[in-house]
Amino acid sequence: MLNTSLAQSVIDHAISLGADFAELFVERSQTNMVSTLSSHVQSVQSGIDFGVGVRLVYGTKVLYGYTNKAEEAELKRIVSELAAKDRRDPRISFTNFDYRRVEDKHAANRILSTDPEVDGKVAFLLATDKAARAASNMISQTRGTCGQVEQKIELFNSEGLHTGDIRNYTRAFLVAIASDGSEQSTGSWNDGGLMGWELVERMNSEAAGKEAARQALVNLSAKPCPSGRMPVVLGNGFGGVIFHEACGHLLETTSVAKKASVFHDKMGEMIANPVVNAVDDGTMIKERGSINIDDEGLDSQRTQLIKDGKLTSFLVDRIGSQQTGFARTGSGRRESYKYAPASRMRNTFIEPGNAELDDMIGSMERGIYASHMGGGSVQPGTGEFNFAVTEGYYVENGKILYPIKAATLISTGPKVLKEISMVGKDFALASGTCGSVSGSIPTTVGQATLKVDDILVGGNA
Amino acid sequence: MALQQNANQILDLVKAAGASGDLIIDQGQSLSLKAREGALEEYKVSSSQILGLRVIKDGKVGTAYSEATDTEALKSLVEQALLNASFAAVDAHESILANAAVLHTDDEVLCPHEDVGIDAQIDFALAMERNLAAKNKVKNVPYNGVQDNTGERHIFSSAGLSAYSKSRMCAAYAYALVEDGDKNAMDGVGQAARLFGELDLTQIVTRTHENCLGLLEGTPVASGHYDVIFDEETQVQLFHTFAMMFSGKSAKDGVNPMREKVGQLIADRRLNIIDKPLNSAGFGYALFDSEGAATQSTPLIVDGNLASLIHNSATASFFDLVTTGHATRGPKSTMGVGLHQLEIGKGEDLAQDLLGGEYLLLTDLTGLHSGANAISGNFSFGASGYLCQNGERVRAVRGITVAGNFYDMLGKISMIGDQQYWNWERSALMPHIRFADIAISG
Repeated sequence: MLNTSLAQSVIDHAISLGADFAELFVERSQTNMVSTLSSHVQSVQSGIDFGVGVRLVYGTKVLYGYTNKAEEAELKRIVSELAAKDRRDPRISFTNFDYRRVEDKHAANRILSTDPEVDGKVAFLLATDKAARAASNMISQTRGTCGQVEQKIELFNSEGLHTGDIRNYTRAFLVAIASDGSEQSTGSWNDGGLMGWELVERMNSEAAGKEAARQALVNLSAKPCPSGRMPVVLGNGFGGVIFHEACGHLLETTSVAKKASVFHDKMGEMIANPVVNAVDDGTMIKERGSINIDDEGLDSQRTQLIKDGKLTSFLVDRIGSQQTGFARTGSGRRESYKYAPASRMRNTFIEPGNAELDDMIGSMERGIYASHMGGGSVQPGTGEFNFAVTEGYYVENGKILYPIKAATLISTGPKVLKEISMVGKDFALASGTCGSVSGSIPTTVGQATLKVDDILVGGNA
Repeated sequence: MALQQNANQILDLVKAAGASGDLIIDQGQSLSLKAREGALEEYKVSSSQILGLRVIKDGKVGTAYSEATDTEALKSLVEQALLNASFAAVDAHESILANAAVLHTDDEVLCPHEDVGIDAQIDFALAMERNLAAKNKVKNVPYNGVQDNTGERHIFSSAGLSAYSKSRMCAAYAYALVEDGDKNAMDGVGQAARLFGELDLTQIVTRTHENCLGLLEGTPVASGHYDVIFDEETQVQLFHTFAMMFSGKSAKDGVNPMREKVGQLIADRRLNIIDKPLNSAGFGYALFDSEGAATQSTPLIVDGNLASLIHNSATASFFDLVTTGHATRGPKSTMGVGLHQLEIGKGEDLAQDLLGGEYLLLTDLTGLHSGANAISGNFSFGASGYLCQNGERVRAVRGITVAGNFYDMLGKISMIGDQQYWNWERSALMPHIRFADIAISG
């Protein structure tokens, strides 16, 4: 996308101003979004994102700029502006670019630049709408979306790296609204991956519509949630958001290097119950959080974060490695050319165990079975996190009694990791989007159903 | 001039295709600085431009955007928008307004000139981090920053509209981590102003430090139902989380629970809420909306009654009304509606009454994006703040949740203060409201 001699000239300019490291990140992304509402097409949107991000490093200081103009004069202007306060005699010499072709381990078939397949997406979404409405006459509305992105990236840096990648992301959502005349509730379904519209081949519109409707109807009949400290069984798949929030963010060197993570000095120590084994794996075929290379050009990898309760690795990007001394893990990620890369999660999950769901439910005298989770957030410095239950049930004396309304679970990362006492066999992954310092990026969370012995449940009963 | 030419070229192509359309061009320049351990950690500059086109052909609406501005990209922009329109259902209500006005906001108000050098901004960022880091019990200041953003918006339409607005926002924020033995706390504050020189470094440092120390000894309170006052930040967050209740677009889409309640009593009779886009003291100031329609003050809740929803021309047409000037559209999005600048009217309760007896003052809410359902009104958030007695902070409170139904809460207002406060981003002006009987888990 960027002429090699132009890139070389810009990086030469950065080196001449004394930068220790210089990098150009070029991006051209094609996007398409199909939305349905009230059993009709609501909108079809498309566009082109294009720009160049310029990163200079002086010592541990990161200078970053971006522009939509891929012109030599504009890029050199940004370099000069960034380096204005730090310019000095050259510290490094430039190595010629050595183009490195990246093997595409997640090759997509039905890609946006070939055919956006709008008719197929409309047909799928309208079929989910039909299935949801067929489930009950209390389903009053549905909203569906199919989004597809084809992101082309190209990287040049002062160490001679020249490489690129194409990432195809596709995701589908359905929200169903149930109404009994006085109250409304919602249910949802989604699927997505690092793939083209071949995603449709694994999706079932009938099942998707029924699932969103089922959840909306359950929530319509839900009672206020009891509150207080109690055990909670967290469902598989998106239940893994608990690890993502409670621990994953705290293991990113973005927080660790600043000593803004409660785990910054815990490497090699027991930070979780011994039943906990956790992984961040960017190599899983066609999973939404996977990448061939990270946004700094390093091959993606599988990183064992916790082994039998012991902290074994952080998630490390280039600057994090420089600041902490730990080796890079292929975790430097960013939403777009508008962000400098930072250490971020990919597909993050707790590995399966041997417990049975019935045993977990049966072990609770008074507790919550949170079968479906929403999103959450964490404050890395203190480890305090929260996440939302979107479908849950009150359990008493080992029996599921009734569905509960909105509830939030809060605790701290160090505490909750030690309170995970049982991990089930029904491992599943679920796609999501994670927002943090380098923007919103595609991720996957996952786990088998697991039991946390003590957590604060925020209800309004 | 190139920009006007690009706009003309695009809209000529739209008209030649037998369509009408409007084009938004957003341009921006920004500076962002972050400090760490006495040195600059991040220095970020940007220059950006994006074009967003909406076309209407045969009653069908399509949108497309591009950050590339070469001739091929502009041609493709029109083709994509027209193609997208071909898939849409006919919408009898959305149209390009018959508006050939030339509009221009006042640069002296929204983007006043200031001679400030980069050195002064770097010094501010370094001093903010250094001064906070030197305070008692502060371990570090992991999140801090100084920003200077200038944005410009042009709107052109095939009907002849030419609207332009330019505004600047300077902001600074700092979040410090304090430790004392095995206890820790993190909190921070921010400030926004149109002039960099109006940012108050000392106040940011002092208030951040006070907030952190205040929360250090925080522990949960017993679960139960409490009187609750949200501070000037969290109360705005709460109302914005449920702002969909005022949306004419959501009502048109059948997901706004207030759709059939216009004219009905939905809140305590002392509650008055108005959207005031022409108050230039706030950053929500807007002379015109994203369709180029003039903005105006819009009473939303009057004496507890839902007075109006907010509309763009399409949602207004659907309900056989006129637009309230609340159209929102970014270059990448379709037409929606949005509040400009929410204002809650002053109440009559003096501070001594408002803050009488025992209540919880909530200064931080977490999980607003995930713990709320604007359709049902149900919410459950993580929270922290202070248990107070007669206006005095008795002790800090952390590790609690606050839960309930927002729409029910509007009827549980016990008192409304007689003073109004801006939040730090200056997006809303509200008095403190004391809510009764709110479920707290601790």
